Amino acid sequence: MKRNKFVVIGCGRFGGQVATERSEEGMQVIVVDAHEDSFRKLHETFAGYTEVGDATQLEVLKRALIEEAEYVLISTNRDNFNILIAHICDQIFQVPKIYIRLMDSEKEKLINKERIQAIYPYKLSLDSFRNLFQSDVEDRS
Amino acid sequence: MKIILAGGHLEADFIINEFKKSNHQITIINPDIDFAKYLSAHHDLPVFAGDPTKIYVLEDAQIHEADVFIALSENDTDNYIMSVTAKNLFDVKKVVCLVRNPNNVQVFKSLGIDRVINATNYLVQNIHNDAAIQQLSRTISLDDDDKIIVVEIQVQSTFSFLNQFIKDIHFPTNINISCVFRDPLPIIPKGDTMIKEGDKLLIVTTPVEKDKVVRFFEKNS
Repeated sequence: MKRNKFVVIGCGRFGGQVATERSEEGMQVIVVDAHEDSFRKLHETFAGYTEVGDATQLEVLKRALIEEAEYVLISTNRDNFNILIAHICDQIFQVPKIYIRLMDSEKEKLINKERIQAIYPYKLSLDSFRNLFQSDVEDRS
Repeated sequence: MKIILAGGHLEADFIINEFKKSNHQITIINPDIDFAKYLSAHHDLPVFAGDPTKIYVLEDAQIHEADVFIALSENDTDNYIMSVTAKNLFDVKKVVCLVRNPNNVQVFKSLGIDRVINATNYLVQNIHNDAAIQQLSRTISLDDDDKIIVVEIQVQSTFSFLNQFIKDIHFPTNINISCVFRDPLPIIPKGDTMIKEGDKLLIVTTPVEKDKVVRFFEKNS
């Protein structure tokens, strides 16, 4: 089976924007969220599919064509969900590229970093603040 | 043995009471602060109030010394996370994970959790076993009035008394194993006859006792 889909799990502001951008680039995108309401965050240029359901359930992931996914971005608002879904995508569905958002950076110990790439909002905020602060301090001197 | 019980309400309380009778060393972790206080007041055991899906909470509870970790929370995902943490980061030998959704049993097992327990699944298995025994047993009437009957039971690999001597098996009263069919020749059993997989037991009993006999085999299968 050809793996050419981009699956996004958790349609918050971040997941919704990633899904919209990949769709605009012409990829086949499927977005999964537990609540129908969340899909309002998708831009009107989004041309992919949406699937309502609990993404820890294999049936829901299969309906979202996870078996045809080359990429999956897991960005629900709970770390524990994100890790379980990442383990399922990796060990059960063998998705080649897995991206996961983690609020608690200590939880990275639970993921195999060779196969699952993590994004940490905490680290990004800290880096961003350091840069802003650094330039302010430099301006003063 | 050191046992850690993480999460859960009624289940945790019940298990604590069961284990207290044995001399296992029990540690409790519960994210519900009020319930943690209740447990602490009612049981003389170490209680940690905190989220057991957090690595530092498990460290506080000395998880590296635990022989058994039991995940009891109401949330299947949380139970998976704490089980995987106990197993992969702290090498806990035996991890037991409770789940509400029966679909998660197979999923969590294939992700490496050895013991995944679900009430619905257990119920279904029990019904299957009962049904299996009903199919395995056959009743033959010896006289026209049904005063005495023969129950035929096929011995399965799952029976608990496999490879035991008849004299060591605690059969209900009024049971008489009259014949054991086994290749090449049927055996008229004595106390030192061993029950083996594949045996067919002919049990002479009364119609009144028949249900008791079948129930005994259901219980031990």
